[in-house]
Amino acid sequence: MARDLDIVSPRGRLTRAALAGWAVLIYVFLFAPIVLLVVFSFNSNKYGTFPITGWTSKWYGQVFHDYQIRDALTTTIRIALEVTVVSTIVGTAAAFPLVRSRLPFRSGIRITLVLPIMIPGLLIGISLLVLFTSVLHQQLSPTTAVIGQAVYTTPFVLLLVAARLQGFDASLERAASDLGANTYQRLRYVVMPLLAPAILAGALFVFTLSLDEFIITLFLIGSHNTLPIYIYTQVKFGITPEVNALAALLLAASLTLMALAFVLPALVRRAVRLVPRKAGA
Amino acid sequence: MASPSSEATQPADVALPLGRPARRSWTARVGEYVGFAPAIVLFGLFFLVPLGLIVCYSFWQTVDYNVVHHWTVDNYRYFFSVPTYVKTVWATIWVSVVATLLTLAVAFPFAYWLARYVPRRYQKILLVLVILPFWTSYLLRVYSWLNILGAQGAMNRFLHWTGLTDQPVSFFLYDRPAVILVLVYLYFPFAALTLYASLERFDWNQFRAAMDLGATPATAVRRILLPQIRPGLTTAVIFVFIPILGEYLTPQLVGGARGVMIGNLIVNFFQGAQYTRGAAAALLIAALIVLLLTLFRRSLEVEDPYGT
Repeated sequence: MARDLDIVSPRGRLTRAALAGWAVLIYVFLFAPIVLLVVFSFNSNKYGTFPITGWTSKWYGQVFHDYQIRDALTTTIRIALEVTVVSTIVGTAAAFPLVRSRLPFRSGIRITLVLPIMIPGLLIGISLLVLFTSVLHQQLSPTTAVIGQAVYTTPFVLLLVAARLQGFDASLERAASDLGANTYQRLRYVVMPLLAPAILAGALFVFTLSLDEFIITLFLIGSHNTLPIYIYTQVKFGITPEVNALAALLLAASLTLMALAFVLPALVRRAVRLVPRKAGA
Repeated sequence: MASPSSEATQPADVALPLGRPARRSWTARVGEYVGFAPAIVLFGLFFLVPLGLIVCYSFWQTVDYNVVHHWTVDNYRYFFSVPTYVKTVWATIWVSVVATLLTLAVAFPFAYWLARYVPRRYQKILLVLVILPFWTSYLLRVYSWLNILGAQGAMNRFLHWTGLTDQPVSFFLYDRPAVILVLVYLYFPFAALTLYASLERFDWNQFRAAMDLGATPATAVRRILLPQIRPGLTTAVIFVFIPILGEYLTPQLVGGARGVMIGNLIVNFFQGAQYTRGAAAALLIAALIVLLLTLFRRSLEVEDPYGT
Protein backbone atom coordinates (compact mmCIF):
# COMPACT_ATOMS: atom_id res chain seq x y z
CA MET A 1 0.00 0.00 0.00
CA ALA A 2 0.88 3.64 -0.08
CA ARG A 3 1.49 3.84 3.62
CA ASP A 4 5.27 3.74 3.41
CA LEU A 5 5.20 6.63 0.97
CA ASP A 6 3.23 8.78 3.39
CA ILE A 7 5.66 8.18 6.18
CA VAL A 8 8.51 9.31 3.98
CA SER A 9 6.87 12.45 2.77
CA PRO A 10 5.48 14.94 5.29
CA ARG A 11 3.42 16.45 2.50
CA GLY A 12 1.78 13.11 1.88
CA ARG A 13 0.89 12.89 5.54
CA LEU A 14 -0.62 16.35 5.40
CA THR A 15 -2.72 15.43 2.35
CA ARG A 16 -3.90 12.35 4.11
CA ALA A 17 -4.89 14.27 7.23
CA ALA A 18 -6.70 16.86 5.14
CA LEU A 19 -8.64 14.15 3.31
CA ALA A 20 -9.59 12.49 6.58
CA GLY A 21 -10.80 15.86 7.88
CA TRP A 22 -12.86 16.30 4.74
CA ALA A 23 -14.42 12.89 5.29
CA VAL A 24 -15.37 13.83 8.85
CA LEU A 25 -17.01 17.01 7.57
CA ILE A 26 -18.95 14.94 5.05
CA TYR A 27 -20.32 12.62 7.69
CA VAL A 28 -21.39 15.65 9.73
CA PHE A 29 -23.03 17.10 6.60
CA LEU A 30 -24.85 13.82 5.94
CA PHE A 31 -26.13 13.22 9.44
CA ALA A 32 -26.65 16.67 10.94
CA PRO A 33 -30.01 17.33 9.26
CA ILE A 34 -31.37 13.93 10.25
CA VAL A 35 -30.07 14.10 13.80
CA LEU A 36 -31.48 17.61 14.22
CA LEU A 37 -34.85 16.39 12.98
CA VAL A 38 -34.92 13.75 15.69
CA VAL A 39 -33.71 16.22 18.32
CA PHE A 40 -36.46 18.67 17.40
CA SER A 41 -39.08 15.96 17.64
CA PHE A 42 -38.34 15.78 21.37
CA ASN A 43 -38.16 19.54 21.82
CA SER A 44 -41.02 21.00 23.83
CA ASN A 45 -40.93 24.27 21.83
CA LYS A 46 -44.24 24.30 19.99
CA TYR A 47 -42.75 25.88 16.85
CA GLY A 48 -40.70 22.79 16.24
CA THR A 49 -37.38 24.66 15.97
CA PHE A 50 -34.81 26.34 18.15
CA PRO A 51 -34.58 27.23 20.96
CA ILE A 52 -34.77 23.92 22.75
CA THR A 53 -37.03 24.69 25.67
CA GLY A 54 -37.13 21.25 27.21
CA TRP A 55 -37.54 17.59 26.40
CA THR A 56 -40.88 15.95 25.84
CA SER A 57 -42.45 13.00 24.09
CA LYS A 58 -45.88 14.58 23.83
CA TRP A 59 -45.58 15.18 20.07
CA TYR A 60 -45.30 11.46 19.59
CA GLY A 61 -48.47 11.02 21.62
CA GLN A 62 -50.22 13.51 19.35
CA VAL A 63 -49.02 11.63 16.28
CA PHE A 64 -50.64 8.45 17.51
CA HIS A 65 -53.91 10.19 18.31
CA ASP A 66 -54.25 12.14 15.09
CA TYR A 67 -56.91 10.40 12.98
CA GLN A 68 -55.59 11.97 9.75
CA ILE A 69 -52.20 10.43 10.42
CA ARG A 70 -53.79 7.11 11.25
CA ASP A 71 -55.73 7.20 7.98
CA ALA A 72 -52.60 8.10 6.06
CA LEU A 73 -50.69 5.30 7.79
CA THR A 74 -53.34 2.74 6.82
CA THR A 75 -53.28 3.90 3.20
CA THR A 76 -49.48 3.93 3.14
CA ILE A 77 -49.17 0.39 4.43
CA ARG A 78 -51.90 -0.90 2.17
CA ILE A 79 -50.24 0.63 -0.86
CA ALA A 80 -46.81 -0.59 0.22
CA LEU A 81 -48.05 -4.17 0.60
CA GLU A 82 -49.74 -4.16 -2.78
CA VAL A 83 -46.73 -2.61 -4.50
CA THR A 84 -44.47 -5.19 -2.86
CA VAL A 85 -46.58 -8.09 -4.09
CA VAL A 86 -46.87 -6.73 -7.64
CA SER A 87 -43.20 -5.74 -7.95
CA THR A 88 -41.86 -8.95 -6.47
CA ILE A 89 -43.88 -11.15 -8.82
CA VAL A 90 -43.35 -9.08 -11.96
CA GLY A 91 -39.67 -8.45 -11.27
CA THR A 92 -38.83 -12.04 -10.39
CA ALA A 93 -40.70 -13.44 -13.37
CA ALA A 94 -38.96 -11.06 -15.76
CA ALA A 95 -35.51 -11.78 -14.35
CA PHE A 96 -35.56 -15.32 -15.77
CA PRO A 97 -35.91 -14.55 -19.47
CA LEU A 98 -33.74 -11.46 -19.08
CA VAL A 99 -30.80 -13.49 -17.84
CA ARG A 100 -31.37 -16.84 -19.51
CA SER A 101 -32.79 -16.43 -22.96
CA ARG A 102 -31.03 -15.17 -26.03
CA LEU A 103 -33.14 -12.13 -26.62
CA PRO A 104 -33.19 -10.01 -29.71
CA PHE A 105 -32.72 -6.32 -28.77
CA ARG A 106 -31.43 -7.48 -25.43
CA SER A 107 -29.76 -4.22 -24.48
CA GLY A 108 -32.82 -2.26 -25.57
CA ILE A 109 -35.07 -4.37 -23.39
CA ARG A 110 -32.67 -4.06 -20.52
CA ILE A 111 -32.58 -0.29 -20.80
CA THR A 112 -36.39 -0.10 -20.94
CA LEU A 113 -36.60 -2.19 -17.80
CA VAL A 114 -34.13 -0.02 -15.90
CA LEU A 115 -35.27 3.31 -17.31
CA PRO A 116 -38.00 3.88 -14.68
CA ILE A 117 -35.26 4.17 -12.06
CA MET A 118 -33.22 6.59 -14.09
CA ILE A 119 -35.76 9.11 -15.31
CA PRO A 120 -37.19 11.65 -12.88
CA GLY A 121 -40.25 10.34 -11.01
CA LEU A 122 -42.04 13.50 -12.04
CA LEU A 123 -42.24 12.22 -15.62
CA ILE A 124 -43.69 8.87 -14.52
CA GLY A 125 -46.22 10.67 -12.33
CA ILE A 126 -47.55 13.11 -14.91
CA SER A 127 -47.59 10.61 -17.77
CA LEU A 128 -49.65 8.16 -15.72
CA LEU A 129 -51.87 11.01 -14.58
CA VAL A 130 -52.65 11.73 -18.23
CA LEU A 131 -53.23 8.05 -18.97
CA PHE A 132 -55.57 7.47 -16.04
CA THR A 133 -57.60 10.66 -16.16
CA SER A 134 -57.75 11.52 -19.84
CA VAL A 135 -57.53 8.18 -21.61
CA LEU A 136 -58.79 5.47 -19.27
CA HIS A 137 -61.13 7.85 -17.38
CA GLN A 138 -60.22 6.28 -14.09
CA GLN A 139 -60.81 7.90 -10.74
CA LEU A 140 -57.47 8.52 -9.01
CA SER A 141 -57.19 6.23 -6.03
CA PRO A 142 -54.67 4.28 -3.97
CA THR A 143 -54.82 1.67 -6.75
CA THR A 144 -53.57 4.10 -9.38
CA ALA A 145 -50.80 5.07 -6.95
CA VAL A 146 -49.91 1.38 -6.58
CA ILE A 147 -49.50 1.04 -10.34
CA GLY A 148 -47.36 4.18 -10.54
CA GLN A 149 -45.12 3.09 -7.69
CA ALA A 150 -44.80 -0.43 -9.09
CA VAL A 151 -43.41 0.97 -12.35
CA TYR A 152 -40.68 2.63 -10.34
CA THR A 153 -39.96 -0.15 -7.82
CA THR A 154 -40.12 -3.28 -10.02
CA PRO A 155 -36.73 -2.63 -11.69
CA PHE A 156 -35.08 -2.88 -8.26
CA VAL A 157 -36.41 -6.42 -7.76
CA LEU A 158 -35.50 -7.25 -11.32
CA LEU A 159 -31.90 -6.09 -10.84
CA LEU A 160 -31.47 -7.89 -7.54
CA VAL A 161 -32.94 -11.19 -8.74
CA ALA A 162 -31.20 -11.00 -12.12
CA ALA A 163 -27.86 -10.46 -10.39
CA ARG A 164 -28.50 -13.54 -8.27
CA LEU A 165 -29.59 -15.62 -11.26
CA GLN A 166 -26.47 -14.56 -13.07
CA GLY A 167 -24.24 -15.96 -10.39
CA PHE A 168 -26.32 -19.10 -10.22
CA ASP A 169 -24.77 -22.41 -11.23
CA ALA A 170 -27.02 -23.76 -14.00
CA SER A 171 -25.57 -27.26 -13.57
CA LEU A 172 -27.45 -27.49 -10.27
CA GLU A 173 -30.68 -27.39 -12.18
CA ARG A 174 -29.42 -29.93 -14.69
CA ALA A 175 -28.36 -32.17 -11.86
CA ALA A 176 -31.88 -31.94 -10.42
CA SER A 177 -33.32 -32.88 -13.81
CA ASP A 178 -30.88 -35.76 -14.13
CA LEU A 179 -32.14 -37.01 -10.81
CA GLY A 180 -35.67 -36.94 -12.16
CA ALA A 181 -37.05 -33.63 -10.93
CA ASN A 182 -39.75 -32.09 -13.08
CA THR A 183 -39.99 -28.36 -13.76
CA TYR A 184 -42.11 -27.66 -10.73
CA GLN A 185 -39.79 -29.60 -8.46
CA ARG A 186 -36.75 -27.87 -9.91
CA LEU A 187 -38.29 -24.48 -9.27
CA ARG A 188 -39.55 -25.41 -5.85
CA TYR A 189 -36.52 -27.21 -4.46
CA VAL A 190 -33.57 -25.82 -6.39
CA VAL A 191 -34.23 -22.44 -7.98
CA MET A 192 -36.47 -20.78 -5.40
CA PRO A 193 -34.39 -21.62 -2.33
CA LEU A 194 -31.34 -20.19 -4.07
CA LEU A 195 -33.19 -17.09 -5.20
CA ALA A 196 -35.11 -16.61 -1.97
CA PRO A 197 -32.59 -14.27 -0.33
CA ALA A 198 -32.53 -11.97 -3.36
CA ILE A 199 -36.32 -11.99 -3.66
CA LEU A 200 -36.73 -11.26 0.04
CA ALA A 201 -34.22 -8.43 -0.10
CA GLY A 202 -36.03 -7.07 -3.15
CA ALA A 203 -39.40 -7.25 -1.42
CA LEU A 204 -38.16 -5.41 1.67
CA PHE A 205 -36.45 -2.85 -0.52
CA VAL A 206 -39.63 -2.25 -2.48
CA PHE A 207 -41.70 -1.97 0.69
CA THR A 208 -39.35 0.72 2.00
CA LEU A 209 -39.28 2.59 -1.31
CA SER A 210 -43.06 2.53 -1.45
CA LEU A 211 -43.36 3.76 2.12
CA ASP A 212 -41.22 6.79 1.29
CA GLU A 213 -42.28 7.41 -2.29
CA PHE A 214 -43.44 10.95 -2.82
CA ILE A 215 -43.48 12.42 -6.30
CA ILE A 216 -45.31 9.68 -8.25
CA THR A 217 -47.82 9.27 -5.44
CA LEU A 218 -48.47 13.02 -5.34
CA PHE A 219 -49.96 12.86 -8.83
CA LEU A 220 -51.82 9.57 -8.57
CA ILE A 221 -53.22 9.33 -5.06
CA GLY A 222 -56.26 11.53 -5.67
CA SER A 223 -58.04 12.60 -2.49
CA HIS A 224 -56.27 10.10 -0.23
CA ASN A 225 -53.09 10.69 1.74
CA THR A 226 -50.01 8.63 2.30
CA LEU A 227 -47.66 9.65 5.11
CA PRO A 228 -45.19 11.49 2.83
CA ILE A 229 -48.08 13.30 1.14
CA TYR A 230 -49.56 14.19 4.52
CA ILE A 231 -46.21 15.53 5.72
CA TYR A 232 -45.88 17.54 2.52
CA THR A 233 -49.28 19.18 2.93
CA GLN A 234 -48.42 20.04 6.54
CA VAL A 235 -44.97 21.41 5.71
CA LYS A 236 -46.55 23.93 3.35
CA PHE A 237 -47.90 25.66 6.44
CA GLY A 238 -44.59 25.55 8.24
CA ILE A 239 -42.75 23.21 10.55
CA THR A 240 -44.72 21.73 13.41
CA PRO A 241 -43.27 19.54 16.15
CA GLU A 242 -45.86 16.91 15.35
CA VAL A 243 -44.54 16.60 11.80
CA ASN A 244 -41.02 16.34 13.22
CA ALA A 245 -42.16 13.45 15.39
CA LEU A 246 -43.94 11.77 12.51
CA ALA A 247 -40.85 12.29 10.35
CA ALA A 248 -38.63 10.74 13.01
CA LEU A 249 -40.92 7.72 13.18
CA LEU A 250 -40.88 7.32 9.42
CA LEU A 251 -37.07 7.59 9.44
CA ALA A 252 -36.85 4.88 12.05
CA ALA A 253 -39.21 2.66 10.06
CA SER A 254 -37.21 3.00 6.82
CA LEU A 255 -33.91 2.35 8.53
CA THR A 256 -35.25 -0.70 10.35
CA LEU A 257 -36.69 -2.13 7.14
CA MET A 258 -33.48 -1.55 5.23
CA ALA A 259 -31.47 -3.16 8.00
CA LEU A 260 -33.80 -6.16 7.71
CA ALA A 261 -33.28 -6.19 3.95
CA PHE A 262 -29.61 -6.76 4.67
CA VAL A 263 -29.79 -9.09 7.61
CA LEU A 264 -32.74 -11.33 6.72
CA PRO A 265 -31.49 -12.60 3.35
CA ALA A 266 -28.27 -13.75 4.97
CA LEU A 267 -30.29 -15.62 7.59
CA VAL A 268 -32.49 -17.16 4.92
CA ARG A 269 -29.41 -18.19 2.97
CA ARG A 270 -28.06 -19.92 6.03
CA ALA A 271 -31.40 -21.62 6.69
CA VAL A 272 -31.68 -22.71 3.06
CA ARG A 273 -28.23 -24.22 3.15
CA LEU A 274 -29.39 -26.45 5.98
CA VAL A 275 -32.58 -27.62 4.29
CA PRO A 276 -31.21 -29.82 1.47
CA ARG A 277 -28.95 -31.58 3.92
CA LYS A 278 -31.96 -32.47 6.03
CA ALA A 279 -33.93 -33.51 2.97
CA GLY A 280 -31.08 -35.68 1.82
CA ALA A 281 -30.64 -37.42 5.14
CA MET B 1 -37.74 -22.01 -17.86
CA ALA B 2 -40.13 -20.38 -15.47
CA SER B 3 -43.11 -22.08 -17.00
CA PRO B 4 -44.55 -25.55 -16.51
CA SER B 5 -45.17 -25.71 -20.27
CA SER B 6 -41.52 -26.50 -20.91
CA GLU B 7 -41.75 -29.59 -18.74
CA ALA B 8 -42.54 -32.01 -21.54
CA THR B 9 -39.38 -31.13 -23.43
CA GLN B 10 -37.10 -31.16 -20.45
CA PRO B 11 -35.68 -34.70 -20.55
CA ALA B 12 -34.38 -34.21 -24.09
CA ASP B 13 -32.88 -30.95 -22.99
CA VAL B 14 -31.19 -32.52 -20.02
CA ALA B 15 -29.56 -35.26 -22.03
CA LEU B 16 -27.54 -32.64 -23.85
CA PRO B 17 -24.20 -31.51 -22.53
CA LEU B 18 -24.01 -28.23 -20.58
CA GLY B 19 -23.84 -26.13 -23.73
CA ARG B 20 -26.96 -24.66 -25.20
CA PRO B 21 -29.62 -27.09 -26.40
CA ALA B 22 -29.51 -27.54 -30.14
CA ARG B 23 -33.21 -27.51 -30.93
CA ARG B 24 -36.11 -26.45 -28.84
CA SER B 25 -39.77 -27.09 -29.29
CA TRP B 26 -42.22 -24.29 -29.79
CA THR B 27 -43.61 -24.60 -26.27
CA ALA B 28 -40.18 -24.45 -24.73
CA ARG B 29 -39.42 -21.29 -26.59
CA VAL B 30 -42.66 -19.67 -25.42
CA GLY B 31 -41.95 -20.93 -21.92
CA GLU B 32 -38.61 -19.21 -22.01
CA TYR B 33 -40.20 -15.82 -22.56
CA VAL B 34 -43.41 -16.20 -20.61
CA GLY B 35 -41.82 -14.58 -17.55
CA PHE B 36 -41.79 -11.31 -19.46
CA ALA B 37 -45.57 -11.22 -19.83
CA PRO B 38 -46.37 -9.38 -16.58
CA ALA B 39 -43.46 -7.00 -17.12
CA ILE B 40 -44.64 -6.23 -20.65
CA VAL B 41 -48.06 -5.30 -19.28
CA LEU B 42 -46.61 -3.19 -16.46
CA PHE B 43 -43.86 -1.41 -18.40
CA GLY B 44 -45.69 -1.35 -21.71
CA LEU B 45 -49.09 -0.18 -20.63
CA PHE B 46 -48.04 1.89 -17.65
CA PHE B 47 -44.65 3.22 -18.63
CA LEU B 48 -44.02 3.31 -22.38
CA VAL B 49 -47.59 4.06 -23.44
CA PRO B 50 -47.95 6.97 -21.00
CA LEU B 51 -44.59 8.38 -22.10
CA GLY B 52 -45.75 8.15 -25.71
CA LEU B 53 -48.95 9.85 -24.66
CA ILE B 54 -46.98 12.74 -23.19
CA VAL B 55 -45.16 13.10 -26.50
CA CYS B 56 -48.52 13.23 -28.32
CA TYR B 57 -50.03 15.62 -25.81
CA SER B 58 -47.15 18.02 -26.24
CA PHE B 59 -48.16 18.31 -29.92
CA TRP B 60 -51.90 18.52 -29.28
CA GLN B 61 -54.04 21.45 -28.22
CA THR B 62 -56.11 22.27 -25.20
CA VAL B 63 -59.35 24.01 -26.15
CA ASP B 64 -61.71 24.93 -23.32
CA TYR B 65 -60.07 22.40 -21.01
CA ASN B 66 -60.52 19.67 -23.60
CA VAL B 67 -57.64 18.10 -25.44
CA VAL B 68 -58.08 18.27 -29.20
CA HIS B 69 -56.11 15.84 -31.34
CA HIS B 70 -54.86 18.54 -33.62
CA TRP B 71 -51.16 18.37 -34.36
CA THR B 72 -49.34 21.61 -33.71
CA VAL B 73 -46.18 23.01 -32.15
CA ASP B 74 -48.13 25.76 -30.40
CA ASN B 75 -47.32 24.40 -26.95
CA TYR B 76 -43.63 24.75 -27.59
CA ARG B 77 -44.05 28.11 -29.25
CA TYR B 78 -46.04 29.31 -26.28
CA PHE B 79 -43.47 27.97 -23.83
CA PHE B 80 -40.60 29.76 -25.51
CA SER B 81 -42.58 32.97 -25.95
CA VAL B 82 -42.82 33.49 -22.20
CA PRO B 83 -39.52 34.96 -20.97
CA THR B 84 -40.02 33.62 -17.44
CA TYR B 85 -40.24 30.07 -18.75
CA VAL B 86 -37.15 30.41 -20.91
CA LYS B 87 -35.30 31.87 -17.96
CA THR B 88 -36.45 28.94 -15.84
CA VAL B 89 -35.06 26.49 -18.41
CA TRP B 90 -31.67 28.16 -18.29
CA ALA B 91 -31.84 28.36 -14.52
CA THR B 92 -32.62 24.64 -14.37
CA ILE B 93 -29.68 23.76 -16.59
CA TRP B 94 -27.44 26.09 -14.62
CA VAL B 95 -28.52 24.72 -11.26
CA SER B 96 -28.19 21.13 -12.50
CA VAL B 97 -24.70 21.68 -13.87
CA VAL B 98 -23.46 23.51 -10.79
CA ALA B 99 -25.06 21.02 -8.40
CA THR B 100 -23.63 18.06 -10.33
CA LEU B 101 -20.12 19.53 -10.44
CA LEU B 102 -20.27 20.43 -6.76
CA THR B 103 -21.52 16.97 -5.85
CA LEU B 104 -18.62 15.38 -7.74
CA ALA B 105 -16.14 17.85 -6.29
CA VAL B 106 -17.34 17.06 -2.78
CA ALA B 107 -17.52 13.32 -3.37
CA PHE B 108 -14.23 12.79 -5.17
CA PRO B 109 -11.80 13.59 -2.34
CA PHE B 110 -14.00 11.52 -0.06
CA ALA B 111 -14.08 8.49 -2.35
CA TYR B 112 -10.34 8.89 -2.95
CA TRP B 113 -9.66 8.89 0.78
CA LEU B 114 -11.93 5.92 1.34
CA ALA B 115 -10.47 3.82 -1.45
CA ARG B 116 -6.83 4.68 -0.86
CA TYR B 117 -6.22 5.38 2.81
CA VAL B 118 -8.85 3.45 4.73
CA PRO B 119 -8.03 -0.16 5.61
CA ARG B 120 -10.20 -2.49 3.57
CA ARG B 121 -12.19 -3.90 6.46
CA TYR B 122 -13.43 -0.44 7.45
CA GLN B 123 -14.27 0.65 3.93
CA LYS B 124 -17.53 -1.22 3.76
CA ILE B 125 -18.92 0.10 7.01
CA LEU B 126 -17.94 3.68 6.13
CA LEU B 127 -19.65 3.24 2.79
CA VAL B 128 -22.81 1.93 4.43
CA LEU B 129 -22.82 5.05 6.62
CA VAL B 130 -22.76 7.19 3.49
CA ILE B 131 -25.74 5.39 1.98
CA LEU B 132 -27.65 5.26 5.25
CA PRO B 133 -29.33 8.67 4.90
CA PHE B 134 -30.13 7.74 1.35
CA TRP B 135 -32.37 4.91 2.55
CA THR B 136 -34.57 7.30 4.40
CA SER B 137 -37.45 9.17 2.86
CA TYR B 138 -36.51 11.57 0.10
CA LEU B 139 -39.16 14.00 1.29
CA LEU B 140 -37.77 13.94 4.81
CA ARG B 141 -34.24 14.56 3.64
CA VAL B 142 -35.40 17.74 1.95
CA TYR B 143 -37.66 18.62 4.85
CA SER B 144 -34.88 18.22 7.39
CA TRP B 145 -33.05 21.16 5.83
CA LEU B 146 -35.89 23.49 6.71
CA ASN B 147 -34.88 22.97 10.32
CA ILE B 148 -31.41 24.21 9.48
CA LEU B 149 -31.91 26.90 6.88
CA GLY B 150 -35.17 28.43 8.13
CA ALA B 151 -35.50 31.79 9.85
CA GLN B 152 -35.52 30.03 13.24
CA GLY B 153 -33.17 27.35 11.96
CA ALA B 154 -29.82 26.17 13.19
CA MET B 155 -27.85 28.38 10.81
CA ASN B 156 -29.48 31.61 11.94
CA ARG B 157 -29.23 30.59 15.57
CA PHE B 158 -25.55 29.99 15.09
CA LEU B 159 -24.97 33.35 13.40
CA HIS B 160 -26.97 35.09 16.08
CA TRP B 161 -24.99 33.34 18.79
CA THR B 162 -21.68 34.34 17.23
CA GLY B 163 -22.94 37.91 17.02
CA LEU B 164 -22.50 38.13 13.27
CA THR B 165 -26.16 39.03 12.80
CA ASP B 166 -28.81 40.41 15.10
CA GLN B 167 -31.77 39.66 12.83
CA PRO B 168 -32.65 36.28 11.36
CA VAL B 169 -31.40 36.15 7.77
CA SER B 170 -33.69 34.57 5.22
CA PHE B 171 -30.82 34.43 2.74
CA PHE B 172 -30.29 30.73 3.35
CA LEU B 173 -33.75 29.71 2.40
CA TYR B 174 -35.80 30.46 -0.68
CA ASP B 175 -33.09 31.03 -3.22
CA ARG B 176 -30.88 29.05 -5.58
CA PRO B 177 -27.92 28.54 -3.22
CA ALA B 178 -30.26 26.71 -0.84
CA VAL B 179 -31.53 24.55 -3.71
CA ILE B 180 -28.00 23.66 -4.79
CA LEU B 181 -26.93 22.87 -1.24
CA VAL B 182 -29.83 20.49 -0.70
CA LEU B 183 -29.32 18.88 -4.12
CA VAL B 184 -25.68 18.20 -3.29
CA TYR B 185 -26.87 16.67 -0.05
CA LEU B 186 -29.47 14.50 -1.78
CA TYR B 187 -27.26 13.15 -4.55
CA PHE B 188 -23.92 12.89 -2.77
CA PRO B 189 -24.39 9.15 -2.01
CA PHE B 190 -24.89 8.38 -5.74
CA ALA B 191 -21.66 10.12 -6.65
CA ALA B 192 -19.68 8.77 -3.70
CA LEU B 193 -20.74 5.19 -4.45
CA THR B 194 -19.97 5.27 -8.17
CA LEU B 195 -16.67 7.06 -7.69
CA TYR B 196 -15.64 4.69 -4.93
CA ALA B 197 -16.51 1.69 -7.11
CA SER B 198 -14.11 2.80 -9.82
CA LEU B 199 -11.39 4.09 -7.47
CA GLU B 200 -11.46 0.82 -5.59
CA ARG B 201 -10.36 -1.07 -8.70
CA PHE B 202 -7.52 1.34 -9.37
CA ASP B 203 -4.00 0.02 -8.91
CA TRP B 204 -2.21 2.59 -6.76
CA ASN B 205 1.20 1.21 -7.76
CA GLN B 206 0.75 2.92 -11.10
CA PHE B 207 0.39 6.11 -9.17
CA ARG B 208 3.62 5.58 -7.37
CA ALA B 209 5.36 4.55 -10.55
CA ALA B 210 4.32 7.86 -12.07
CA MET B 211 5.68 9.78 -9.11
CA ASP B 212 8.90 7.77 -9.16
CA LEU B 213 9.28 8.90 -12.73
CA GLY B 214 9.01 12.49 -11.59
CA ALA B 215 5.31 13.32 -11.81
CA THR B 216 3.85 15.60 -9.16
CA PRO B 217 0.82 14.18 -7.31
CA ALA B 218 -1.43 16.54 -9.26
CA THR B 219 -0.03 15.38 -12.59
CA ALA B 220 -0.37 11.76 -11.51
CA VAL B 221 -4.02 12.30 -10.66
CA ARG B 222 -4.67 14.06 -13.95
CA ARG B 223 -2.70 11.80 -16.27
CA ILE B 224 -2.93 8.38 -14.60
CA LEU B 225 -5.96 8.30 -12.33
CA LEU B 226 -8.59 10.36 -14.13
CA PRO B 227 -8.38 8.61 -17.52
CA GLN B 228 -8.82 5.24 -15.86
CA ILE B 229 -11.82 6.16 -13.75
CA ARG B 230 -13.59 8.00 -16.55
CA PRO B 231 -16.43 5.46 -16.91
CA GLY B 232 -17.11 5.85 -13.19
CA LEU B 233 -17.07 9.63 -13.49
CA THR B 234 -19.50 9.49 -16.41
CA THR B 235 -21.87 7.21 -14.56
CA ALA B 236 -21.74 9.54 -11.57
CA VAL B 237 -22.49 12.56 -13.74
CA ILE B 238 -25.46 10.79 -15.34
CA PHE B 239 -26.92 9.47 -12.11
CA VAL B 240 -26.68 12.87 -10.46
CA PHE B 241 -27.56 15.15 -13.34
CA ILE B 242 -30.65 13.35 -14.69
CA PRO B 243 -32.69 13.24 -11.50
CA ILE B 244 -31.72 16.83 -10.69
CA LEU B 245 -33.10 18.00 -14.04
CA GLY B 246 -36.52 16.72 -13.01
CA GLU B 247 -36.40 17.96 -9.43
CA TYR B 248 -39.64 19.35 -8.11
CA LEU B 249 -39.65 19.00 -4.35
CA THR B 250 -36.33 20.65 -3.50
CA PRO B 251 -37.03 23.91 -5.33
CA GLN B 252 -40.58 23.77 -4.01
CA LEU B 253 -39.63 23.46 -0.35
CA VAL B 254 -36.36 25.37 -0.06
CA GLY B 255 -36.16 27.30 -3.34
CA GLY B 256 -39.11 29.66 -3.03
CA ALA B 257 -39.96 31.94 -5.94
CA ARG B 258 -36.32 32.50 -6.92
CA GLY B 259 -35.39 28.83 -6.94
CA VAL B 260 -38.00 27.64 -9.45
CA MET B 261 -36.99 24.85 -11.85
CA ILE B 262 -38.70 23.23 -14.86
CA GLY B 263 -40.20 20.57 -12.59
CA ASN B 264 -42.20 23.25 -10.78
CA LEU B 265 -43.46 24.68 -14.07
CA ILE B 266 -44.62 21.24 -15.17
CA VAL B 267 -46.51 20.66 -11.94
CA ASN B 268 -48.11 24.09 -12.18
CA PHE B 269 -49.28 23.37 -15.72
CA PHE B 270 -50.76 20.04 -14.72
CA GLN B 271 -52.42 21.42 -11.61
CA GLY B 272 -53.92 24.13 -13.80
CA ALA B 273 -55.29 21.42 -16.14
CA GLN B 274 -53.05 22.67 -18.95
CA TYR B 275 -52.01 19.17 -19.86
CA THR B 276 -50.70 19.87 -23.33
CA ARG B 277 -48.46 22.75 -22.23
CA GLY B 278 -47.26 20.73 -19.28
CA ALA B 279 -46.47 17.85 -21.60
CA ALA B 280 -44.35 20.13 -23.78
CA ALA B 281 -42.39 21.31 -20.74
CA ALA B 282 -41.96 17.70 -19.61
CA LEU B 283 -40.68 16.72 -23.03
CA LEU B 284 -38.08 19.44 -22.72
CA ILE B 285 -36.63 17.61 -19.72
CA ALA B 286 -36.81 14.33 -21.62
CA ALA B 287 -34.99 15.97 -24.54
CA LEU B 288 -32.25 17.21 -22.22
CA ILE B 289 -31.87 13.71 -20.78
CA VAL B 290 -31.64 12.13 -24.23
CA LEU B 291 -29.08 14.75 -25.23
CA LEU B 292 -26.99 13.97 -22.18
CA LEU B 293 -27.19 10.22 -22.73
CA THR B 294 -26.16 10.61 -26.36
CA LEU B 295 -23.22 12.77 -25.33
CA PHE B 296 -22.03 10.14 -22.89
CA ARG B 297 -23.13 7.11 -24.88
CA ARG B 298 -19.65 5.90 -25.64
CA SER B 299 -18.61 5.83 -22.01
CA LEU B 300 -21.91 4.24 -21.04
CA GLU B 301 -21.45 1.27 -23.31
CA VAL B 302 -18.71 0.09 -21.02
CA GLU B 303 -21.16 -0.16 -18.18
CA ASP B 304 -23.36 -3.20 -17.88
CA PRO B 305 -25.75 -3.60 -14.98
CA TYR B 306 -25.22 -7.34 -14.65
CA GLY B 307 -21.64 -7.58 -15.81
CA THR B 308 -22.47 -9.94 -18.68
